[in-house]
Amino acid sequence: EGVTCSLSTARPDEEQGGHADQKTSPARTSHKKHLPPIPKNAVPITKPASVGTPSHLANGTHASYGPFYLEYSLMAEFTLVIKQKLPGIYVQPSYKSALMWFGVIFIRHGLYQDGVFKFTVYIPDNYPDGECPKLVFDTPVFHPLVDPVSGELDVKRAFTKWRRNHNHIWQVLMYARTVFYKINTAEPLNPEAAVLYEKDGQLFKSKVVDGVKLCNSHLFDQPKVDDPFAISFSPWNPAVHDEAKERMFTFKRRPEEHHKGAQVSGLSWVKPGSTQPFSKVDSPQS
Amino acid sequence: MMASVVANGNQDGQSLVLNGVDPETCMIVFKNHWAQVVKILEKHDPLRSSSMHPTLSASAVQNYVEHMLFLLMEEESGQGGCMGPILEFVVMENVMERLFVWSLRREFTDEMKLEQLKMYEMLVGQARQPLLHHKPILRPLMMLLSSCSGTAAPAVEAELVLLLNQLCCILAKDPSILELFFHTSEDQGATNFLIFSLLIPYIHREGTVGQQARDALLLIMSLSAENERVARHVVENTYFCPVLATGLSGLYSSLPTKLEVPNEEWHCLHKVDWMRMPSLVQFLNSLEFCNAVIQVAHPSIKDQLVAYIYNGFLVPVLAPALHKLTLEEVMTTTAYLDLFLRSISETSLLQTFLSFILLHQHESVYILDTLVSRINTPFQLGTVSMALFRTLIGFYCEDVMLQLILRYLIPCNHMMLSQRRVVRERDFYSTSAAKMLALTPSCCSPDHSPPPLRQLDSILFSKGGADTPNSSNEQKSFSEEDDSSGNSCTIGSEIYLDVSYLHYLYDARLSISSCIRACQVWSALYDAEDPPPEKYQPGVLEEPKLEGRQTQTALKRVPKLLVSNARSGLPRGEPPSIHQLELEWDDSYDACPVQTTETPVEGKPAHLSPSEPPKHIQEMRRTAIMLVKGSYIEENEFQDDVMVYNLVAKKDSSEAEHAEETQSDPAHAPLRNGLTLPTSLVSDNDKNSLKAKAKGQTDCNGNLQNATPVESGEDFLAQYEELICILDSEGRGKRVKGDRELNKPVSPVEEEEEEEMDFMSFTAETPEPEKLQSPFGTVQRLRSGSSNRCYSVPFTGPFISVLFSRLENMLTNPLHVNLLLTGILAQLAAYPQPLLRSFLLNTNLVFQPTVRSLYQVLATVKSQIEELSASRLDFPERITAAQHWLLAREASFTATGDNNRLRVKLQCEIGFSDRIGKGWEPLP
Repeated sequence: EGVTCSLSTARPDEEQGGHADQKTSPARTSHKKHLPPIPKNAVPITKPASVGTPSHLANGTHASYGPFYLEYSLMAEFTLVIKQKLPGIYVQPSYKSALMWFGVIFIRHGLYQDGVFKFTVYIPDNYPDGECPKLVFDTPVFHPLVDPVSGELDVKRAFTKWRRNHNHIWQVLMYARTVFYKINTAEPLNPEAAVLYEKDGQLFKSKVVDGVKLCNSHLFDQPKVDDPFAISFSPWNPAVHDEAKERMFTFKRRPEEHHKGAQVSGLSWVKPGSTQPFSKVDSPQS
Repeated sequence: MMASVVANGNQDGQSLVLNGVDPETCMIVFKNHWAQVVKILEKHDPLRSSSMHPTLSASAVQNYVEHMLFLLMEEESGQGGCMGPILEFVVMENVMERLFVWSLRREFTDEMKLEQLKMYEMLVGQARQPLLHHKPILRPLMMLLSSCSGTAAPAVEAELVLLLNQLCCILAKDPSILELFFHTSEDQGATNFLIFSLLIPYIHREGTVGQQARDALLLIMSLSAENERVARHVVENTYFCPVLATGLSGLYSSLPTKLEVPNEEWHCLHKVDWMRMPSLVQFLNSLEFCNAVIQVAHPSIKDQLVAYIYNGFLVPVLAPALHKLTLEEVMTTTAYLDLFLRSISETSLLQTFLSFILLHQHESVYILDTLVSRINTPFQLGTVSMALFRTLIGFYCEDVMLQLILRYLIPCNHMMLSQRRVVRERDFYSTSAAKMLALTPSCCSPDHSPPPLRQLDSILFSKGGADTPNSSNEQKSFSEEDDSSGNSCTIGSEIYLDVSYLHYLYDARLSISSCIRACQVWSALYDAEDPPPEKYQPGVLEEPKLEGRQTQTALKRVPKLLVSNARSGLPRGEPPSIHQLELEWDDSYDACPVQTTETPVEGKPAHLSPSEPPKHIQEMRRTAIMLVKGSYIEENEFQDDVMVYNLVAKKDSSEAEHAEETQSDPAHAPLRNGLTLPTSLVSDNDKNSLKAKAKGQTDCNGNLQNATPVESGEDFLAQYEELICILDSEGRGKRVKGDRELNKPVSPVEEEEEEEMDFMSFTAETPEPEKLQSPFGTVQRLRSGSSNRCYSVPFTGPFISVLFSRLENMLTNPLHVNLLLTGILAQLAAYPQPLLRSFLLNTNLVFQPTVRSLYQVLATVKSQIEELSASRLDFPERITAAQHWLLAREASFTATGDNNRLRVKLQCEIGFSDRIGKGWEPLP
């Protein structure tokens, strides 16, 4: 497994704590991209600029803040995903739009064992008030709930109505993982797969194995979408990957050292469990 | 003379003569010279009548010595690092000591001392082999040093300190000599570690001498970190720490008691300000030195110094100074305190200052409470106090935030019981942000910002991305290239880009992330679970551990110290700086009356009309009355508001000259006393009592002094002892009664009637107690420290309350006040603790009816602005002008700001005010 790209770099920053979401949003805004994004290949549709006619929402909020709220929501969602530490699932928002996330899922056992499926999550632009996000596999996986043509996973059956504050994108990702371990054939998007699974387990299994093989044979293909943050795989190259691997494995030790060694700007003489100032008998800081 | 001769010899090119001369020849020359010198020494003992003229004999000796020293200096060490032959001879024959003794027997003038010091300085500095390891060289050096210690001649002092500095440098490089330094002094029966003791009197000196002395002392301090013996010696046998700490007191007392404030906007001492004040520069130098000592010294020295600073400076000097009688003086002290806090870098020194502010009670009121109450005072005291809190909040210190705000939030009394889980909830869809932003006055809506501002901002944001929106009001939409599945992704159907909002977000992110990082060292999350709200016990605040632990050990050593020092005999002669110090010390008590017997309050602003006091004064009166009525618990702690209120009232009345109310109301009589009479009385009392105390203490230890004949050193000791006794007794915080009575605020009861109206109007807003208690069922009565604080009524603390009340007056505040306010608010809003964050920013949280939220306050301000904007025709133009001015101001800050932290702070300030306080203030 050689996931290159900046997946892992996002993590340490994101796991800062309660405020990570607030923090992340402006950061991305400031150096990764601008809101709203203009794709290089897209021609912006320019309406006559209307400075004097601001669009107000019913509650008096300026519509102009809408994109900021949306991006904030998405970053908060992304932070939640990171916090869930979903096994075998990696996602990365696209460079061009926060509404499109690239992902990959590793299946570690069961019928789909060794499957490495790349997918893309599409989030409606009226999130969180629209429908539930779509999840589309890059290569249609042979599965009762995956559309054999488009590769779209039937997410709606799990989230018939997307409810703000209750539903989160990590749940969609979690659902995508579950379908490979617990196969459901009711109302299938791929009836063939459903029938085979019910009637001819062996044939289903071999088709799945073929599908996994096919998928893995295209693993090193260029990503379908031209986006700097798209997930791409490359064969193991010690010159490139050894160092990254090393860093990943030493990462766990590092944060503590980092906090202790670095100049800590905050101060505290409060003994843990106490609410009295200067309750620490001997402050180790001094 | 000797040294100068040697130096001349150098110039004459004698060193050239030595080049290539073989060591044996040198040795022979040296021995010959010495033989001649010995002859003269023996024949012409200056005490006996001599055949030879003393000057002649002296010059002859010097001639020889000059050559000898030169030979010694130039000699290389022998094989394997052993002594060269000349050095060996010097050691064997005890040359240096004999020379020293001979010169001592002659008239030992300052000039002589100077020459000998120079001679050693050259020898020590330029010798090619280590000399100080040898007692016959070290001992006469020590004798010379100790004989120079009492000197008053500046030239000798300068040379002495230079030599001491040099010795310390050598010591730092080669600590093995240290033992010798101790031993040598023992032999001599003098104070151990003479070079250290000799440096102490120069600690607080100005100029090069002081700097060299401090540098040298610092070298020894860092030596102490590894050498237990040095540390013990410094702590137990020297006055190093007390001199340092009380020196601060002395220097403090020479600071101006009233600052000449450049303009109304001024609210804190910047470098340009204090650089112009030599006395303040000197104080800061000493403070910086304390800071440095604490940084490098052994923990025991550090503890002792910190304890002395607490008990010798903060409690006896700074605390009373913070409670002086006029607004100007108090304002000045507050500005000093702010500057000191900003100057300290060492954590444990900062801890000392902070624990003084948080835990020390002056006349049974916490310093912190006093400072908080002053935020609401008029004139510059209020803004200077705000600037102090900006500094305090900027430390990201848990203890500060706990005392200031968090302890009032921990019990979660300010919200409905069911709301506790909301505290930790994340606002996924920015509903709170939307609500807050909806408070932007319509005149300041981003849509109305003129184009030039936008361009300025978009330049700042154009870096770092390929896709730069070059025109911000362009509507952008974006459709993703269709992929095979036919899905497309579109964002932004009606996007109106507010680039300055991005700017604001960027600044906010900076401050939030640095705050989060800083708060990682905190002990708890403050999220309505940790610490648990139910278990919260305010408890009784104790004076800092410093006093209990460190001071006791530190101060108990003092008598012992006196004995040992007295017996060993201090350097002869009274170090000049000590005398000075003593005077300065007394000054601190004299300074007060001199300044205040004049009109206590000057510079009356003309706009205050006696018939109708300004709004803030009315506020304060109301506060005072509510205090009595007990209905407004929030204000319970504002003891000092009452005092300031008195001052203000007095000011008013003095302006009103014969205003009715003051004349007719007997309640004002003590008030008048409180200001006109008192000043001299207070200080006299103060001083006398101090003297008395000091005397009492001195008597106890008197036997120590009387038993020890220490020549003039006795004065020195007595002064120190007095000083220390004062510190010690003062540290217990017992104040003179008279002082107290005079300072005691006028009981506001007497004013009740005249302000009845105000009071009534306020109570109308105050809900009934039953209503308040219902969510909890029981009435909790908890005490915090000495001040009774009732927690049964939801209360978010005096700081928040004062802050909000000033915020509510934004429209009438001057611009600089608003910038300070919004700056502090932005600082607070960056804190990640859910309790604080939710209190300030979560508009979904349901508070108790009596708790005012930031949202409510800002809503009030918004409606005021809307009213104003509707009533003024030129409002839009003024807004535009104000925005330009604010941006130009920020640009000038970023251009000149070399201090990054300040820059970030300022940006927060601007950012916030840009949003919320945008330009309804008349332009300057």
